[in-house]
Amino acid sequence: MGKLQESLVGKSVAVLLLLISAFCSGLFACRTFILLPMVNSSAWQYTTYFQTFLEQRQYQVVSYFSLTQDLEDPDLSYMDRRQLQDSLDQLKQTLDSQSTWFRYQVRSSDGSAVLASNLPDGTELNQVVPTVYYASFTPGESTLSHSVMVYEDYSTDTTISVYPEDITDVSSLPPVVIECGIDRNVDLSILDEFSLLANEYTSAEKNFPIYITLSAVSLGVWIIALLFFLWSSGHKAGHDGVILSWQDRIISEAYFLIIACLVALLLYGATLLADYFSIYLYNFYPMQNSDLWLFFAAAAVLVCLLSLILVLFLRTITVRLKAHSLAKTTLLCVIFSWIWRALRDFFLYLPLSWRTAVAFLGYLLIKALFPSLFGFYNPIPHAILNILVLLALCRWTVCLSRLRQGSQAIAAGNLNHQIDTSRMPHDLRALGEDINNISDGLAGAVNEKMKSERFKAELITNVSHDLKTPLTSIINYVNLLKTTQQTDPKAQEYIEVLDRKSQRLKKLTEDLVEASKASTGVLSVNREKIGMAQLIDQALGEWTEKLEERHLSVVSTIPEGETWVYADGRHLWRVIDNLLSNCAKYAMEGTRVYLDLVRGRGQVTLSVKNISREALNIPPERLMERFVRGDESRTTEGSGLGLSIARSLTELQGGTFELTVDGDLFKASVTLPQAN
Amino acid sequence: MYNILICDDDRDIVSALDIYLSSEGYQTVKAYNGKEALKAVEQNNIHLILMDIMMPELDGIRTTAKLREGSNVPIILLTAKSEDADKILGLNIGADDYITKPFNPLEVIARVKSQLRRYTTLGGADKGPGLISVGPISMDDGAKQVTVDGEPVALTPIEYNILKLLLSHPGQVFSSSQIYEQVWNDPAYGSENTVAVHIRHLREKIEINPADPRYLKVVWGLGYKIEKGAN
Repeated sequence: MGKLQESLVGKSVAVLLLLISAFCSGLFACRTFILLPMVNSSAWQYTTYFQTFLEQRQYQVVSYFSLTQDLEDPDLSYMDRRQLQDSLDQLKQTLDSQSTWFRYQVRSSDGSAVLASNLPDGTELNQVVPTVYYASFTPGESTLSHSVMVYEDYSTDTTISVYPEDITDVSSLPPVVIECGIDRNVDLSILDEFSLLANEYTSAEKNFPIYITLSAVSLGVWIIALLFFLWSSGHKAGHDGVILSWQDRIISEAYFLIIACLVALLLYGATLLADYFSIYLYNFYPMQNSDLWLFFAAAAVLVCLLSLILVLFLRTITVRLKAHSLAKTTLLCVIFSWIWRALRDFFLYLPLSWRTAVAFLGYLLIKALFPSLFGFYNPIPHAILNILVLLALCRWTVCLSRLRQGSQAIAAGNLNHQIDTSRMPHDLRALGEDINNISDGLAGAVNEKMKSERFKAELITNVSHDLKTPLTSIINYVNLLKTTQQTDPKAQEYIEVLDRKSQRLKKLTEDLVEASKASTGVLSVNREKIGMAQLIDQALGEWTEKLEERHLSVVSTIPEGETWVYADGRHLWRVIDNLLSNCAKYAMEGTRVYLDLVRGRGQVTLSVKNISREALNIPPERLMERFVRGDESRTTEGSGLGLSIARSLTELQGGTFELTVDGDLFKASVTLPQAN
Repeated sequence: MYNILICDDDRDIVSALDIYLSSEGYQTVKAYNGKEALKAVEQNNIHLILMDIMMPELDGIRTTAKLREGSNVPIILLTAKSEDADKILGLNIGADDYITKPFNPLEVIARVKSQLRRYTTLGGADKGPGLISVGPISMDDGAKQVTVDGEPVALTPIEYNILKLLLSHPGQVFSSSQIYEQVWNDPAYGSENTVAVHIRHLREKIEINPADPRYLKVVWGLGYKIEKGAN
C-alpha cells in the first residue's frame, strides 16, 4: 500500500485519468443536456421545437395569405407585383405538399369556404393528420391568435386533450381560421423540419440512456481517480510522512483567492460559450449542424479545466490537513490563535481568585449586552447562558469530586491509583497531576521499604542459619569434652565456663533472631479470640515454681468470668512469658509480684508490677531498647531483648506496651483490644 | 544393631553426632549432601536418617520427598530454620520429626531412640480392652500404666487422670476449669492454675523437650489438648 501511495507512476496515471474522465464527463454531460428537452416530452409533437416550427409555418401561411390579398390590389405597380409574386411563389413552393409534411387549410370565419390549402386533391385534413391545430388571424395583419384545438386521433383511438378547453366566444376570434397539422405518414422521404425532428427524437430516445450512462461512468472514474490522487498526495518515494510542496506552503487565503479568480474566469468563459451557442439550443436546425462539435469540445475543455482547478484545491487542502498545517498556513487562524493564546495566557497568569472575579464580570457583561442584542423582553438567551454557566460549574464540580475520589483512594493505600487528568480544567488538572506525583513518590517509597523489609527478612533467615550452624558444633563438642576424662581440675572448670557461655550464646542468638523478626514484622500473626484469664493461669502454671525458688509470691487480680481479647495466642504467650521471666530475673527476692487484669472501653490491660532488685536509674524508654538491662554490670542471664521482643510482639497484634518506673517499682502494661 | 545415616553439609556437626550415636551403640553412615544420602540409602540397610535441610546439591526437603517414594525409614530433620512454615513443610513431605539447631545432643539421642522404637518394635501394637493409645502414648487403664514409645512413665494419680481425660478426647481443647471440674470433681473457683502446674509436670514426664511439646500441647489462652495425629 505504501509503495502504491508513493509511486510516481500511480500519480501520473491518476492525473491522466482525472483529465480524461473530466473531459469525457463534460462532453457526455453536454450531449445529455442537449437531449433533455427531447426526452422530457412524451412525443416529438410535444417538444418546444415542434411548437416553434408549427408557429413558423403558420406565419408562412399568414404571409402567403396576405401576399395573395396584396396581389389583388389593382393599384399595384408592376415591379411591386413582380416582387410580391416572387415571394408568393417562393412561399408556395415552401408550403407545397411535395416539399413539406405540413398540411393546412385556410377557412373563412364561418368555415364555409376554403380560402387556401396544400392538401392533395380529394383529401380531408382530418384524414391526413392525426392532430389538427387551429389558429386565426385577421387578413392584413400579421399577428396570430392561437386556439390550439385538437381533433381526435382516429388512427390510434386515443383521445388527446383539447385546449383551450372551450372557446365560448367565437365572435371574438379573428375572422380567418388556419387549420393545420402534420401528415401522419411523416418520414425522411421529404426532408423538412418535421421529418428531421421526428427522426432526431427517435435517435434521442435511443441515445439518451447511452449518454447519461457514459457521463455517470466517467464521473465515477473521476471520483475514484480523485480519491486515489488525494490519498497519495503528499507522499513521496524515499520519504516518510507528508511532504509539503511549494504550493502547500502558500498562505491559504492567497491560494483560495487565486483559485476563486480562476474559477470565476472559467465560469465567465462558460457563460460566453453558453451565450454564443444558446441560439442553437432554441433553434433546432443546428442540431444537424456538424459545427456543433465545437460547442461540445469547448464545454468539455471548460469542465476539464474546472475539474483540474478543483483537484488542485482539494489536493492542497488534503496535504495541509495530513501535515496538520492547514491552521498554521491560514493567516486568519494564525492571527486568531495568537490572540486567543495571548488572552488565555494572560487569564491563566492571574491568580485563581482574580480569575474567578474576571469570569464573573465577563458573565455580568454578557448579560448586560443581551438586551441590546436580543431585545429587552427575550428570556431565551439568558436561559441559554445560565444553562451553559451551570454546565461549566457542574463540570468543575465533577472534576473536583473525581480528584477527591482519587485522593481518597490514595489515602486508603491504593498507591498505584492514577487520577485521569485529561479533560480537566487547567487548575484542577495541575492539582490532579500534583496528587499523581505524590502518589508516585509514595508508591516508590513504599516499594523501596518493602524491598528493604524483604531484604531484612532474608538477612535474618540467612544470618540465623549461619550463626546457628557453628553454634551447634560448639555446643556438641563442649558436651563431648564434658564426657572425656579430664585429670586437670582446671580443664574441667574451663569446660564448665565454655558450656555455660555456649548455652548463653544459644539463648542470645535465638532471642536476637526473635527480636529482629518481631520488630521487622516478618512474623505471621493469626489473631483469634483468646481467654486472658486462662492464659494467665497457664503462664503462672509454667512459672510458679521458678518464682517460688526466688521467694516471689504472685498476687493476681482477675475480674469475674473470662476476659476475651483478639490476639495471637503464641505471640501473647511469648509476651507474658517474657514479662514473668523478667520478674524472675530482676525482681527483688522476697517481694510480691502483682498481676492485674483490667477491662473496659473495649480494651483489656494486663499489668505486671514488681520491685526491682537493682536501682532503676534508667528511663523506661531505655529499658525497652534492645540489649538494655536493669543491671549495668550485665552479669545476669538475660539477653536484654525480652522487653523489646514483648513490645514488638504486642504491637504486631495491634496492642500497646507501656513501661513505668516509679522508684524501684517496675510496671509493665500490655493493652489489647477486647473481643466480644 | 541399627544403622543411622547422618547427613549435614557441616562436617563438624556430622562427626559430633557420629560420636554421640556411636557411644550409644549405633552404626553410623555419613553423607554430606542429599545426593550422597540417597546413594548411602541404596547401598546400606539404613534404619534411621538424621538430615539437615539447608544443603548443597539436593536439600533435605527434596531428599526426603525422593526417599519417601520407596522407603518407610524414619527421617528426623535437623534445621536452622525455626519458621513454623518450614517445620510444617518438612513434616508434610514425609519427615517423622524435626530438631531445630542449635540442638541439645541428648535430645537428639532421645528422639532417635523414640523413632527407632516406634519403627522397629511398636509398629503394629494391638489394642486390648481399656487400652487408649494416641501416637506414641499408650494408657492401660486396667493396669493404670502409661507408656511413651514403649517406656513406662510414672505418674501421680492427678496427672494420670488429666492425661486420661485428654487421651480419651484427642484433639479436643480443655480449658483449665473444665479439667479441674472433671478431674477434681469440684467446681473451679480460681484454683485453675493448679491445673497448669500439673500439666507442666505431666509434660516434663512424657515429652522429650517440655519447652517444645509434641503430644501434650498448650493452646495458649484457650486450654490444653493431646495432638490427634501426634507422632
